[in-house]
Amino acid sequence: MDEIKNVSLEMKDYIASSGAETLSWCMQCGLCTNLCPWRLVPGEVSENFNIRKMQRLGQLGLEGFEEENILFACVTCGMCQINCPRKVEIIDNVRSMRNTTVGAGFLPPHLRPIAGSLHANGNPWSGEREKRAAWQNGLDIPAFTEDTEYLLFVCCTSCYDTRSKKIATSIVRLLKAAGVNFGVLTAEENCCGESIRKLGDEELFQKLAQGNIDLFKRKGVKKIITTSPHCLYAFKKDYPELGGEFEVMHYSEVLAQLVKEGKLSFPQELARKVTFHDPCYLGRHNQVFDPPRELIQSIPGVEFVELDRSRNKSLCCAGGGGRIWAEVPMGERFGELRITGAVEKQADTLVTACPYCIIMLDDACAGLEKGDVLQVMEMSELLCTALDTK
Amino acid sequence: MDKKTAVYICTGCGIGESLDTEALVKVATKEGKVPVCKTHGFFCGPEGLAQIKNDIENEGVNSVVIAACSSRVNYDVFDFGPAVLTERANIREQVTWTHKANDEDTQMMAEDNLRMSLAKIKHVEPLEPFQGENMVKTVLVVGGGLTGITAALEAAKTGYKTVLVEKNQALGGWLNGLHRLAPRKAPYTMPEEVDIADKIKELSLYPDLKVYTGAEIEEIAGAPGMFDVSIRQDSGISTERVGSVILATGAVPYDATKLQHLGYGKFANVITAQKLEELAGQGKIVRPGDGKEVQSIAFIQCAGSRDPEHLPYCSAVCCVESLKQATYLKEQNPEASVYIFYKDLRAPGEYERLYKKVQQDGAIFVRGDITGIDEDDEKNLIVRAQDVLTLSEISTESVDMVVLATGMVPTTAFGENPEAQTETESGDKAPAGEVILKSNLLNLAYRQGPELPTLKYGFSDSNFICFPYETRRTGIYAAGSVRAPMDEASSAEDAAGAAMKAIQCMELSDQGSAVHPRVWDLSFPEFAMQRCTQCKRCTVECPFGAINEDEKANPLPNPTRCRRCGVCMGACPERIISFKNYSVPMIGSMIKAIEVPDEDEEKPRILVFACENDAYPAVDMAGINGLRYNSWVRIIPVRCLGSINLVWIADTLSNGIDGILLLGCKHGDDYQCHFVKGSELAEYRLSKVSETLDRLSLESDRVRMEEVSIVDYDKIPAILDSFAERLEELGPNPYKGF
Repeated sequence: MDEIKNVSLEMKDYIASSGAETLSWCMQCGLCTNLCPWRLVPGEVSENFNIRKMQRLGQLGLEGFEEENILFACVTCGMCQINCPRKVEIIDNVRSMRNTTVGAGFLPPHLRPIAGSLHANGNPWSGEREKRAAWQNGLDIPAFTEDTEYLLFVCCTSCYDTRSKKIATSIVRLLKAAGVNFGVLTAEENCCGESIRKLGDEELFQKLAQGNIDLFKRKGVKKIITTSPHCLYAFKKDYPELGGEFEVMHYSEVLAQLVKEGKLSFPQELARKVTFHDPCYLGRHNQVFDPPRELIQSIPGVEFVELDRSRNKSLCCAGGGGRIWAEVPMGERFGELRITGAVEKQADTLVTACPYCIIMLDDACAGLEKGDVLQVMEMSELLCTALDTK
Repeated sequence: MDKKTAVYICTGCGIGESLDTEALVKVATKEGKVPVCKTHGFFCGPEGLAQIKNDIENEGVNSVVIAACSSRVNYDVFDFGPAVLTERANIREQVTWTHKANDEDTQMMAEDNLRMSLAKIKHVEPLEPFQGENMVKTVLVVGGGLTGITAALEAAKTGYKTVLVEKNQALGGWLNGLHRLAPRKAPYTMPEEVDIADKIKELSLYPDLKVYTGAEIEEIAGAPGMFDVSIRQDSGISTERVGSVILATGAVPYDATKLQHLGYGKFANVITAQKLEELAGQGKIVRPGDGKEVQSIAFIQCAGSRDPEHLPYCSAVCCVESLKQATYLKEQNPEASVYIFYKDLRAPGEYERLYKKVQQDGAIFVRGDITGIDEDDEKNLIVRAQDVLTLSEISTESVDMVVLATGMVPTTAFGENPEAQTETESGDKAPAGEVILKSNLLNLAYRQGPELPTLKYGFSDSNFICFPYETRRTGIYAAGSVRAPMDEASSAEDAAGAAMKAIQCMELSDQGSAVHPRVWDLSFPEFAMQRCTQCKRCTVECPFGAINEDEKANPLPNPTRCRRCGVCMGACPERIISFKNYSVPMIGSMIKAIEVPDEDEEKPRILVFACENDAYPAVDMAGINGLRYNSWVRIIPVRCLGSINLVWIADTLSNGIDGILLLGCKHGDDYQCHFVKGSELAEYRLSKVSETLDRLSLESDRVRMEEVSIVDYDKIPAILDSFAERLEELGPNPYKGF
C-alpha cells in the first residue's frame, strides 16, 4: 500500500448514471469472484481480473479498473449475477464501467475494427452489407411480408462466416420441414448489437438497435425467431428499453414445440453419444434449458449425457461480452475445459446452440487435437442429419 | 426417623440376564440386613409399583432402595411422596449396559452400587422445607428505562405487586435521547417513532405497580422472599419489602474524550452517535458550531470498541444505530453522501434489510482501520482508512461531519473498587478474589459486597448457556444492556424473561424450594454452629453470596439465597455443614461401603465423583449408547464438584482405593459449571491435596480431575480407561489392606 487513493464521488455517480444502478448494492462478499470462470484457468487475465474488486473500485470511483485486462475481461456469462445474494446487476455494472472509457473514445485497439465495421456495414465481421444475404442463394427462402408469421433473424456470424453459414442453412431446412410460416429481411438488417453494448459502446448499440426496430415495425414484424441466443437476448432484454416490443424465440424453442405437436420428427436413427453445452445467453440469461435437450433426445438412437457443469451451472465458452474477439493463449481458454469435460464423459458429439459457442468450441477442440474422438456440432446440424432416412 | 428399609431389585431391561440377582438379594438381606427385599421384572410397571406401594402402605416400609435404572429416569414413577425416602442404585446404565454380562467384575460393581445406596439411605433424613418469616411476592425493578418498564409491566400483568425505582425524574431512560428507533417491523427498512411514552402511560393502568422516580436504592438487605429495601427519594427514605429484584440499570456510551485519535475533542465536527440523535431531534441536522447544514457525513464504527486499548468487546447495536442514523441524513437530502467505516458490519436478523436499504441508497461502506482524520480550513473533515477490499489506503472527499459510534459500558462497570488498596498475596494460585465495585445501584447489605459479581468487562456474571438472567445473587436478575450489550427488541425480551424468573423465585422460595438449577430441592444446608471456627471459608467461597456474618464472624446462612450446590459443605474444614440428604459423613459411609479386594486379586478400584449436572448424565449416556469401560470404577454422584470435601479424598485412599477421578464441568472464562465457581474451586482445592499426597508418598497422579460436558459421553470410556492405565503404572495403593 503505497500512495493514498482518493475517493471520487463524481466518478462513482458517473458510472452509476451510465446504467450501474445497483453498484452500491454490492456488499463485497466475493461470491462473484469465486464463481467466475476465470478462476478455472491460469494466466495473466485470471491473475488480474477480480470482478469483486472491479465493483469495489467503481463504488469508490477509484482509478485502476480501466486497464484492459480488467475492464474487458468479463465474459458476461452471468454465473456471478444469478447467484449474487444482493441481486446486483453485475453485468450492467461492467457495461457501465466500460462505457466510461469507450464512451470517451478509448476502445482497445483490437476492438476498433469491430466497431468500425458495425458503423459502416452493420456487422462486426467486416462483411459487405450487400453480401449479408448472399448465403441464401439457391435456398428459396421467402421474404418476410405482412402475411408471414415469423421473421427469421440470422446472426451476422452465420451470414458471413463460412463455418457458421451451415447453421443458418440447417435452421432454414428444419423450419421448412416443419412447415413454419417464416420469412427473412436479412439484407436490410443490422447486427442486433448485443456484444457491442456489452463492450460499452452504448451509442453504437442504440444506432444499430434503432435501425432494426424501425425496420421490424415498418414491415409489421410481431414474432421473431433468432438463430443466436445473443440476438434473442438483445431483442428480449435490450430492445424494449428503446420501444421495440416483439415476441422473440430462439429456434430451439420453436422446434421443440413443433416436435411436441407432432409437426416435426426425426426418423433417422443416429448411433451417437451426445452431450450438450448450454450457451450462457440461452441458458442462464434466458432460462431456456429443456428445449435443446428435448430435441436432441427426440432423435432415435442418441444416447444423451450431461456435462458436469450444465444448465444454470454451465461453464461459459468465453465468447460473450465481446471476448469472441479477444486473443487468449492456449491453456487459458474456457472452451478447452468444455472439450475435456465432454471427452471425459466419453461423448462423441458435443452439441451447442449458439454461433459464438461453435467458434470457441471448434477452436478448442482443434487446439487440443480431440477432433478424432469428439465432433462439435451446432444443434441444427445434428437435427438435420436425422431429418431424412438414408 | 425410624427407618424400615426395603430393597427392590429390578431384573428388567437386561439386568436379570446379566447379573446374579440372588447374590444381590443377599447383599441387601445378609449384609444390609434389610427386612424387605424383592425382585421383579418390571418394577416401573403397574404390577411392580403396586408391590412397592403395598409394602409402604401395609408393611410399614418408609425407606426404599430401587436397584434398577439411573436416578435420572423414572424419578416421577418412583416418587412415593415426602414421607418415604427413596434412593436409587444404578445397575442398568452404569453396570449392565456398559459391562460384560455374567462377569465377576460386573457383578462386584452392581453389588458395590447397592452397598453404597444402602449406606447412603441410612444417613438420609426426611426434608423439612425452610420457611422464612413474612415472605412477600413483590417484584422490585431497579431502573426505569425500556427494560425496567417492560419488566415492571410484565410482572404487573401477571398479577404480582411491583415496585419500579428510577434514578431520574423522568422514566424512559436511554430512549428519551433517541430521535427514532431502529426498525422493528416489516419491511424493516424505515426507522420508527420512539414509543416509550406509551409504555410509561401503560404503567398507570396497574394499581399494584408503584413507581418511584428521582429515587435511588439506599440499601437492599435480606434474601429472596424477604428483601428489605430502603429507597431514597428527595430527602426521605421509604421502605419496601420485596421478594425478588430485577436489575435493569442499562449501560452508558463509552467516554468519547478517550478517542482523541479519532478527532474527538480536537475537531469541532467530530461528534458522538448520541449527539447526532440530539441534533436530529431538533429538526434539520446542522453542525453545532457553525450551523452549516450537513450534506455529507462519515460514521466510524467500533469507535473505541473491539479495541484492546478501549472496549475489547462488540456492543452489538452500534452498526444498526449508524445505519439508522444514515437514513436521517438521506431523508433530509437524498443526494447527501454517507460513508460508513467498519470492521465487520453486524446487522443481524431482519436488520439486514436496513443495511441493504442504506446500501441501495448509495452509502459507501469501507471495511478497514481508520488511519487518520484531518480538518480543512472550513472545519470539514477528511477521513483516511485502509480499504481492505481494494488493499489500499483511501481518502474521502471532505465531509461535513464525522460521527463516532461509541460502544456500551454497563452501569455495573463504574464505582470505587473497595479492594484497590489491599495488596494481593503473591505465589498463591487461589482463584482471583471477586472485585465488586461500589456502583451504587443495589447497595446490597451482603458480606460479599454491595453489587452483583461481574465478568471481566463489568457485565453481571451468569451461566450464559443455561441461565442467562440469573446472576450470582439468588433472587436478583439482570436484564437488558446491564447484562450484555443488546438492542431494544432484545432488551424487552430480556425484561420478560427476567420478570418470569423473578416470579418463579418468589414462588419457589415460598415453598421452601431451591431455584434453578435445583428447582424442587427442599433441602438446605444446616450449620452445627457450636463447632464453627469462624474461618470464613464458607462465606467467601459461596458463589452466590448466600452467607452473611454476624459481628463475631459467625456465618449467618440465608437459606432462600442458597442454590443448594454444597460448595460451603466442600469448603468447611470442620465439616459442620450438612444437608438432610447430602452430607460429609453420608458420602464417607458410601466410600467405606465399597469392597476393596486384596492387592493379590489384581482388581483395582477407582472412585469417580461425578457432577450430577453434566458428568453423571454423560456417563449414563455412554451406557445408553452401549459404550464399554473398565469395571474398576465406582461412581458417586455429587451436587457439584465444589461440594467435594477433601476428607473424602483421605477416606477413599485410606480405604485402599487406588485412584480418584473428579468428573465435572468446564471452568474458566467460558465456564459451564452450573454453580459458576464449583469446578474451579474443586481444582484449586485439589492442588492443595496433591501436596498432602506427596507428603504421604502417594503419587499425586492418583487423583485426577477431568472436564466433561453433557455431550462428551463418547469420551467417557477413554477418560475412565486412560486413568485406569495410569493407575496400573503406579501400582496398587500401598495403604490397601491397612
